[in-house]
Amino acid sequence: MTFEAISGSIRIGAPRKRLRLEHFVMGGAILCLIVLVVLPILSLLFGSIRGEQGLSLDQFGEVFSGRLYRQALFNSLILGAWTGLFSLIIGVVLAWAVSRSDVPGKTLIQLTVSLSYLSPPFLTAIAFVYLFSPNAGLINVLMRDVFGLPWLTFNIFSMTGLVLVTVLHTFPFVYLLASSALQSVDASYEEAAQILGASKLRTAFSITAPLVAPAILSGTLLAFVNAIALFGSQAIIGLPGRIVTLPTRIYALFDYPPEYGLASALSLVFIVITVVALYLQRAFLARRSFVTLAGKGARPQLINLGPARWILFGFAVAAFLVAIVAPYSTLIAVSFSKSWGLAFWKGLTLSNYKFILFEYNVTQRAILNSLMLATIAATIAVFLGALIGWIDLRTRIPGRKLLDYAALIPLGLPGIVVAVALLQFWLRIPHLALYGTLTILLLAYVGRYIPLGVRAANTSLRQIDPSLEESAQILGASWATTMREITLPLIRPGLFAGWLLVFVPVIQELSASILLFSSSSITLAVAVYNLYETGAVERVGALSIINMVIIGAAIFVANKLGGGIAKASTAREVTA
Amino acid sequence: MAGIAIKDLSKSFGPRDESFAAVSNLDLDIKDNQFITLLGPSGCGKTTTLRLIAGYIVPDAGTIHVNGRLVSSPGSVVPPDGRGMGMVFQNYAVWPHKTVFENVVFGLKLRKIPAAEARRKVAEALAQVNLTGLEERYPNELSGGQQQRVALARSLVVEPEILLLDEPLSNLDAKLREHMRTELKVLQRRTGITFVYVTHDQAEALALSDHIAVIHGGRLQQYGTPYEVYSKPANRLVADFMGLVNLVSGKVLEVRSGTGKIELGHAITLDVALPTGTSIGDNVEVAIRPENIRLTKPGNGSPPRAKISERTFLGNISEYYATLDSGQTLRVQTHPLQVFAVDEPVAIEIDASHCSVFRGSAAK
Repeated sequence: MTFEAISGSIRIGAPRKRLRLEHFVMGGAILCLIVLVVLPILSLLFGSIRGEQGLSLDQFGEVFSGRLYRQALFNSLILGAWTGLFSLIIGVVLAWAVSRSDVPGKTLIQLTVSLSYLSPPFLTAIAFVYLFSPNAGLINVLMRDVFGLPWLTFNIFSMTGLVLVTVLHTFPFVYLLASSALQSVDASYEEAAQILGASKLRTAFSITAPLVAPAILSGTLLAFVNAIALFGSQAIIGLPGRIVTLPTRIYALFDYPPEYGLASALSLVFIVITVVALYLQRAFLARRSFVTLAGKGARPQLINLGPARWILFGFAVAAFLVAIVAPYSTLIAVSFSKSWGLAFWKGLTLSNYKFILFEYNVTQRAILNSLMLATIAATIAVFLGALIGWIDLRTRIPGRKLLDYAALIPLGLPGIVVAVALLQFWLRIPHLALYGTLTILLLAYVGRYIPLGVRAANTSLRQIDPSLEESAQILGASWATTMREITLPLIRPGLFAGWLLVFVPVIQELSASILLFSSSSITLAVAVYNLYETGAVERVGALSIINMVIIGAAIFVANKLGGGIAKASTAREVTA
Repeated sequence: MAGIAIKDLSKSFGPRDESFAAVSNLDLDIKDNQFITLLGPSGCGKTTTLRLIAGYIVPDAGTIHVNGRLVSSPGSVVPPDGRGMGMVFQNYAVWPHKTVFENVVFGLKLRKIPAAEARRKVAEALAQVNLTGLEERYPNELSGGQQQRVALARSLVVEPEILLLDEPLSNLDAKLREHMRTELKVLQRRTGITFVYVTHDQAEALALSDHIAVIHGGRLQQYGTPYEVYSKPANRLVADFMGLVNLVSGKVLEVRSGTGKIELGHAITLDVALPTGTSIGDNVEVAIRPENIRLTKPGNGSPPRAKISERTFLGNISEYYATLDSGQTLRVQTHPLQVFAVDEPVAIEIDASHCSVFRGSAAK
């Protein structure tokens, strides 16, 4: 090879301090985070201590002394505690069965867990109301009027009912963390105990249990945090049963005249509970590290349960029936019936679908809004997450850790609190009428789910050695070129997973949307909730099923696309 | 081609109150057309120096000039993409989502070289590193050595004036490493590119370099040709790092102009060059390489001075540990045919012209 000077070769430039594109992009990302998260939270704080004259703590005083508020606080804690307990039991039993025993039907268990996790909790709640509402619930009617067994009826509009419906959504958190911990415990720890003479049961309690306990506790706290934040089921089941919780109490404060100050103060109390729980959760999870250190060489041994495995199998089938079959078959049956009741099968019809799809003018708008918002929100959250993750991992900008923490704040914000914060902030800005627009919904979604984007980007970026970017840079590639040619293609599979992780919850978001929507910006979940409020049982069934089909189809299409992308970049073996 | 002038360069990492100086007050003048090596143990600051030259890091103090142009100073740094240098990374950093061809052509595309010419240059570069025919492979289908050569071709194809190499051979097995070592040297001769090569392997440094900069604790210890650095180490650290060495304490008996007589333990004296400012009675330390000591059977005029305490047969040489009467143990390398038994008394001859003397006792 000859080394004559090649045309267009890169000349040594002059030293410079001037701003380059990356500085603007990074500045923009930081600004976005401030506007999306930091400022709304600050205005929430400010709103809660602003009295008639100057600053005051009166609103907090009212929150802690008013019977209504204390009752809501108490109910939320009770709900969270029971939900956490039952999530713990169901999640651990199923996780242990799948990863450590020879129980049959492991696929069924995994299917139950994924579907429970993906199902919009307010749809499950609606389905259970149609089965167990005190007077008209199908099973209650069956027991009372047909079999004459009134003591076998069940009132869903109670704390028990609320816990039941909520657990169906939250036990997967315990399951997921417990099973990953169980799988990462090196079998040699257990074998070492057994060779010393410990029985299998003894080993399970004295070796395995302590090793996985932090992960399980952490999953339980996640279940707690998610349970108390669910507006949908608490409104659908709690309100008729006069069980007012924090989200529904905050929601009620927006009835005319809206009590912004009280809502802000109550929201802050809510945040404190969530943040404390999440802090404990992180602390527990951090203690888990020694489990994951174990190599993957030794696979855990499966315990031979003998006939007892059929008991466990029965438990799994019961979970499947209650969590999946009951709600879905109910909604399907409701959607095709002329009149929901014992004799619903006598008058099957498609007219509900016809009405919902073609005559009810809300449906199409809601579908379009939800799909559009979820797509845009997921894309923004992931790209913003990638930039914030990149700043954190690849630059030495002072305060970058702070940025990372700021991006995690929304994890501690229940949906309805996000809505209150956004209202507090944006309604104060003159000449900007964001209330009821798609924009404010988008701001809520991106702000609420930005942590998922940051986490996905962080995980992928950590797997990419910085030298892969540096080697492009020294060849003369600008920041933008390096990003486009090297970094983004390499983290694309991870970003895509993050995209899906944001897309799925956004398309079924209700807790924040319920305070922010207007008739033009209505979303699918809100449309279902509103229709449910009108009492049009059969039509709600049809809309619910359409909702589920759209979620399912979106996940399917996204997975297909994502799978293709993941396969295209077979070169996952990134230099460590 | 280009020379690099480094002046008073310093860089610290970590929080301000407990920061750790990776490089301090480094001065280095790298001439055009040279193969120079930054040599030192891991953590000595050699990679930081290389990354300062590349522009990935902003110095705390000092300057770097390339061809007389200022490229780095605490206030302003030409970013790596504006320096026109090449760099080969320790882990190769071959992009896993691009084929061999796409990896190598990347820099040419950035320079807007027409496609046909770019293809020709890529083919030439790949031929140069013996990778012809592997253009369409992905990196995960290549061996470590092949990936390393892709990284090399990718850097060479854009014809940089300066090529920075960060331990490029450390991930290869011994045989391949030796082979690539020769190829790198030939390549540097042929292209005339200035190579700045980082390694912790002193044998590699000795074999490849025109000049070696020995770095320790962030400071330059010695800068010279391989011969100078090996046979005339500037201090104890350099002597210790460049191959095997016996560090023996002694006392100055006589001082003449520049040279003098030193007593090592009992009755062994050496006539050696002394550092300036040494006076009679000073404690000194003498660095003696194992190959500069000869063991013989005691006889007339060569009384027994030591006892063999251990012997190891290494094939091409034999290695002995000989314990002096003073209790000090010397490591000695001899011809394999020269055989002594353990506990056998031996006479010792030291080639004083190859010893280095450092002031102060061996306070370890």
